[in-house]
Amino acid sequence: MFHQILLQIFHKLNNERTVSAAYHVLRGKRSGQTIQDIGLFQLHNYFGLLPKLPRATFDEAVSTFSQYSWLNMQESGHYSMKKLGLQRAEQTATFLFDGWHYRGNEHAFFARLSLIVQSLSYHRADMHSFSPISKDPQVQAWVRAFLVNHNYQLGHLQQQLFEECQQVLTALPLADRQKQLVLYRLSGHSSPGWTWQQLASERNESVLDSQLAFIELLHTLLNEVHQNSTYALLGQIADGLRIKALLTDSAQQTAQLYEQGYSLEQIVQLRNLKQSTIEDHLVEIAMNEPNFSIGPFVSYEEAEKVWQASKHYQTKKLKALHEVVEGMSYFQLRLVLAKGEV
Amino acid sequence: MELEQTLAKYFGYTTFRPGQREVIEAILAGKDGIALLPTGMGKSLCYQLPGYILQKPVLIVSPLLSLMQDQVEQLKRIGEKRVVALNSFLSLTEKRYALHFLEQYRFIFTSPEMLLQQQVQEKLAKMELSLIVVDEAHCISQWGFDFRPDYLRIGEWFSQEKRPPVLALSATATQKVVNDIRTTLSLHAPFEFMYNVDRPTISLGRVVFADRADKAKWILQHIKETAGPGILYMSSRKRAEQYSEAFTQAGLRVAAYHAGYGAEDRQFIQQQFIDGELDWIVATNAFGMGINKSDIRQVIHETMPANVANYMQEIGRAGRDGEPALAILLYCDGDEELAKFVVTGDLPSASHVDRYQELVRQQVQPSQMLKNGELSETAFRVLAYWSQKESVEQVKARLNQLVLEKYQAVDEMLKITQTKDCIRTQLVGYFGQKLQEKPENCCENCGIHYDEINTERLKEEKKVEMIPWESRLKQLLIGF
Repeated sequence: MFHQILLQIFHKLNNERTVSAAYHVLRGKRSGQTIQDIGLFQLHNYFGLLPKLPRATFDEAVSTFSQYSWLNMQESGHYSMKKLGLQRAEQTATFLFDGWHYRGNEHAFFARLSLIVQSLSYHRADMHSFSPISKDPQVQAWVRAFLVNHNYQLGHLQQQLFEECQQVLTALPLADRQKQLVLYRLSGHSSPGWTWQQLASERNESVLDSQLAFIELLHTLLNEVHQNSTYALLGQIADGLRIKALLTDSAQQTAQLYEQGYSLEQIVQLRNLKQSTIEDHLVEIAMNEPNFSIGPFVSYEEAEKVWQASKHYQTKKLKALHEVVEGMSYFQLRLVLAKGEV
Repeated sequence: MELEQTLAKYFGYTTFRPGQREVIEAILAGKDGIALLPTGMGKSLCYQLPGYILQKPVLIVSPLLSLMQDQVEQLKRIGEKRVVALNSFLSLTEKRYALHFLEQYRFIFTSPEMLLQQQVQEKLAKMELSLIVVDEAHCISQWGFDFRPDYLRIGEWFSQEKRPPVLALSATATQKVVNDIRTTLSLHAPFEFMYNVDRPTISLGRVVFADRADKAKWILQHIKETAGPGILYMSSRKRAEQYSEAFTQAGLRVAAYHAGYGAEDRQFIQQQFIDGELDWIVATNAFGMGINKSDIRQVIHETMPANVANYMQEIGRAGRDGEPALAILLYCDGDEELAKFVVTGDLPSASHVDRYQELVRQQVQPSQMLKNGELSETAFRVLAYWSQKESVEQVKARLNQLVLEKYQAVDEMLKITQTKDCIRTQLVGYFGQKLQEKPENCCENCGIHYDEINTERLKEEKKVEMIPWESRLKQLLIGF
């Protein structure tokens, strides 16, 4: 699964970035460049899937790709996909990740769910002392409040949660084996969970692939829960975990000033930042805010010219576009590209 | 109220375990104390019970966050609400709240780091405590394997004139460490209790091999043919994984365990072991803390541990149910070299000392070294503590000394490994005690009838199979 995902990212990056760009996407690096790449190349799904991915693991995969003749590595760190690689990329499955909206928060969701399930399982078995699976005091406090609010002592909560979990899992368009995997990361009285090692060896794959399958299921589950109001309990457990503010904090401040009617130059003065920084922010906003208009900076005709050129030359490289589309600044080009695809 | 009544009322026990009553009586009489009790033998009761008799708060200083958490949970489980853990996990608001109402708690847990914070010290100085407990007190000893410099710093805090009694607790302590505890904490003629280290129901086996390959063969065969539950201690994470893999291939119910796995995975393995889904754990010395499994029949050491105290603690996990159990120490020429390499691998080197000074000169945060992964956290702690106090030469001399001490500890273990006399007598003697009586099946040199202890692995235990997700969901939440 890891290899397939990586191949898809390389495919989408269209030979126009270094391999490191893919690494930053998977790690969820919050830099202007990476955020722009996400928008330009439509990589939202993959953003921040593996915040702790070791560079060595990544590099190993890349060198495997070269060995398989899927891509060529250049000294500059850039790559180019080979025919075989392109074929393989097109054969890969479609994944249902939603990294952009969860960014690791799926683990917070699962920590809550795990402790709730564990508590209910022990409670049902009349065991009132156990070693909590989550040691995080914040998670513990959250779960305690949740259990008390739902009068867990009455003993009905188990059934309710069971029904909701059953309903949501049935609704997900993923394989039963993937649902089974997630259930074995939960534990309860007399039903210990399985370690990643054990699961991966049972599933005949790497630990990383098992972990990715787990994340994919959680993302789809969370989206299902957010889109339907029928999941009363799961909705609460998932509350606040879907990212709403998609902008970086600094870009958020720029967005507020811009909304209040300040011009780019005024914001530069007010915030005492470089013009290029504020331009980065505006590009970020263009990418993430559907209502943001690039009209004040670029005319429709200019934008049209950029889109045409991008299509004609099959590129999103700024330098190339700058050469063929006359009289436009890099900032304008970036705005058009950012807006164009979203 | 009699002590027994208090014991029954709050803890539900009818009798004390060895040493508990003596320690508690000394504390109630206002004396300082050092109590050396093995894990799982009711160390914490020694301060918990006085907490219900003395009307002022008990302050417990604990160096390990996880341990602190465990003890807080344990108290909450018996219904104690007036308990707080003052540690770095608290948010600013929570901390302010806890500090404001501090005198109203019965048990206040805190870390040495926290105790050094000014606002915490000021608050504590203004209130009256009934008792100060130093848990895992061996960490205070700079010769201990998990030396915590902050523990040394709090030593000063204890030297003040008017202070409540201090109780130092530890599971592992040699005479040397006990001396360190006494002086560093400025204890006044403390009452000392040390449990009887001898465990007569554990037979002490030893097998010597000509080479490593023979040893590996022996291990594989032994694990295949004899019954668990058992722990096989390995010298490294990698070896633990390799052996575990080999056993799994051979169809045995085994899992590896080391600190490199995530917290959940570690807990899953512990629970599988306790629930009887696994027969063997192949582990590094990270395994064992807080394990409560009474029917462990075998503890095997693939190679020598770093010191005698570790060895005692690790084999002590066998046979807690009082039934016969077996500890086997494997040895092959050169194992001591490996042990020496492992114990000093974690120490800062002379070049680390120079680099630290260099960074200070350049006005760079020395913690950069830690971030770059140049050395371990423990090593950095030691390095930072001494570098702030002493010159480069002094620090280097100190580190050299530390290396020698660690080598010496390995050599002491080696002596016990190679002895031709009674192993049990030697072990017990190491802790300054005298063996009262040799059990039957005492040790390799006195003679062990292995067939009397080891049970053959008769049946093929069934591996636990995965069940479909819906059944698993039902099993977790509804049962059956």
